[in-house]
Amino acid sequence: MSSPDAVECTGLVRRFGEREALAGVDLRVAPGEVVLLTGPNGAGKTTLLRVLAGVIRPGGGRAAVAGHELPAAAAAVRPLVGYAGHEPLVYPRLTARENLELYAALYGVSPEAVAPALERVGLDGRAGDRAADLSRGMRQRLALARATLHVPEVLLFDEPTSGLDEQGRALLGRLLGGSQAALVATHELATLAAAADRAVRLELGRVAA
Amino acid sequence: MRAVRALVRKDLLLELRGREVVPAMVVFVLAAFVLFRFALGGDRLGGGVRAATGMLWVAVVFTAILGLARAFAVEREHRIWDGLLASPIDRSAIWAAKAVSTFAFLVVMQAVALPLFWLFFLQQADGPSFAVLIAALLAADVGIAALGALLAGLASAGQAREVLLPVLFLPFAVPLVLVGVQVSIGTIPPQTADFGTVRELGFLALYATIFALLGWALFEYVVED
Amino acid sequence: MAVVLAATLMPLAVAMIFFYVPTDVDQGYSQRIFYFHVPIALTTYTLFAWGALNAARFLWTRDMRLDLKSYVPMHLGVMFGCLTLVTGSLWAHISWGVWWYWGSTELTTFLIIFLFYCAYFMLRFSVEPGEKRATFSAVYALLGVGLIPISVIAVHTAQDIIHPITFSRNGANMDGSMFATFLVSLAALLSLAVAMYCIEMRGKRIDDRLKQLRRLAEASS
Repeated sequence: MSSPDAVECTGLVRRFGEREALAGVDLRVAPGEVVLLTGPNGAGKTTLLRVLAGVIRPGGGRAAVAGHELPAAAAAVRPLVGYAGHEPLVYPRLTARENLELYAALYGVSPEAVAPALERVGLDGRAGDRAADLSRGMRQRLALARATLHVPEVLLFDEPTSGLDEQGRALLGRLLGGSQAALVATHELATLAAAADRAVRLELGRVAA
Repeated sequence: MRAVRALVRKDLLLELRGREVVPAMVVFVLAAFVLFRFALGGDRLGGGVRAATGMLWVAVVFTAILGLARAFAVEREHRIWDGLLASPIDRSAIWAAKAVSTFAFLVVMQAVALPLFWLFFLQQADGPSFAVLIAALLAADVGIAALGALLAGLASAGQAREVLLPVLFLPFAVPLVLVGVQVSIGTIPPQTADFGTVRELGFLALYATIFALLGWALFEYVVED
Repeated sequence: MAVVLAATLMPLAVAMIFFYVPTDVDQGYSQRIFYFHVPIALTTYTLFAWGALNAARFLWTRDMRLDLKSYVPMHLGVMFGCLTLVTGSLWAHISWGVWWYWGSTELTTFLIIFLFYCAYFMLRFSVEPGEKRATFSAVYALLGVGLIPISVIAVHTAQDIIHPITFSRNGANMDGSMFATFLVSLAALLSLAVAMYCIEMRGKRIDDRLKQLRRLAEASS
């Protein structure tokens, strides 16, 4: 039996009050596949990623990550997903190391994994610096470290290239080149095209034909 | 459990580095005492020790509300909520950690407030038993922290959040203050601590238990978007 | 149906209160306010229980209709609550000569609950309509369920501050005609509440449907 899709959505719907952010999304990401999610602002890319990461509930339709249905099995989904949002999601007044130590505790990962994670993103020299004191690109790298600390099966990245320098982009390429599946929302098709298997365009809450 | 500890540690570290909440609460309670002293008549303390004890509880409640207003401020301002919500922890763990750190801040504030209370209101007079007062405040703190952590989550979603939190909290503060004052003035000489005191302290513990249970059960609904 | 029931019971209750029940020995004719005040208070509590129950059901099922079914009783509860406070004030004046008696356990408990109702509405007005508002309202309504026993116990515990008064005159040892009047009045007010609930629910449903149709019309044009 083949392993379940990394991501599977059928008719996924989500509204916020009157506004329909997702109007019936049909999408599939096979295990190990890297799919880019493109589309104009407001198309629903962020909402889709947030639903799949278990941050918000779906409104209707079907969504499953690594074979687990959302929202029923959201608790099973969250440890398997590495979510990097629009914002770096780090505490500015905590150091890089302290931020990762916090998330290690939240994900049930041994604190010993923090130092290697910082090394992987090239921040081992700045581990003791507050996140607020890091440059934008470094904060973004810290965010990527945070998202991959627990060695997730599925990566859900929202505009991961923003603020990244050469070194950072290379790092991102390495992360996407691994064996995990990834769904990456981005405006920079060209930069990530090499690492991706295919691209899907979202418009007005639906996959554009 | 490890998650709760990590989150509490985070809150305490942030407060140590930022020094936003606790100093503000201490200054506020001091200012409140000054106001109350003069409102009660300045040199001659109108209403005596009974009134002053009541004022202590009022000051504690309002100061707590002030502190709670900043409860989830960092997560909100830097959009860190998504990071916490994407992680596998129970939503209630977030609540529990916030309640624990709020309790810690309240205790620190009261450690300063009680000596000030003595200085401002009790110097020449016989006041309530400090042992009972401390026990009552600690029990009340648990209830305030538990309920406050939940309400801070509720209030932070709405528009007028600085105004909303006091409004949401104050109806729940009334029973707390009622019994808090009751147990405190029940130990002002010539009265002493007796069975009634135990029963009143028991109520404060009951209050804490009920709202801890409700907070733990309901918080997950508060963080959903 | 409820409207018919209310329409029959209310005049009956009023008639019984004013003509049937014997005049109270101590307080005279104006003691009859008791037959309004307590049933109104009980109706308010019932409305609140109904609102809280539907709030819990909403959190369980996420059915938006239950949000409305929770909000409307709470809303009616505020109205009946105001009436309770007004009749309570009148009764305080009749019984003790003051416009509000701070020593009364019932009045104080009710005041706390009334404050809570008002805060509920503040919360509701400060969040945009939608699932979030429904969820938050439901959570706060359920917190209120915890508040009621807490308030009752607190008020009875704080005896240096609030002296409990005995209601032997108006308590369980009411005689036959008084008890009958009390029951009729209670039934009348409850059916009035149900009738208002039905009317308001119908009105809100029509309002929602209208909004829906308007949206559809705008979308297609």
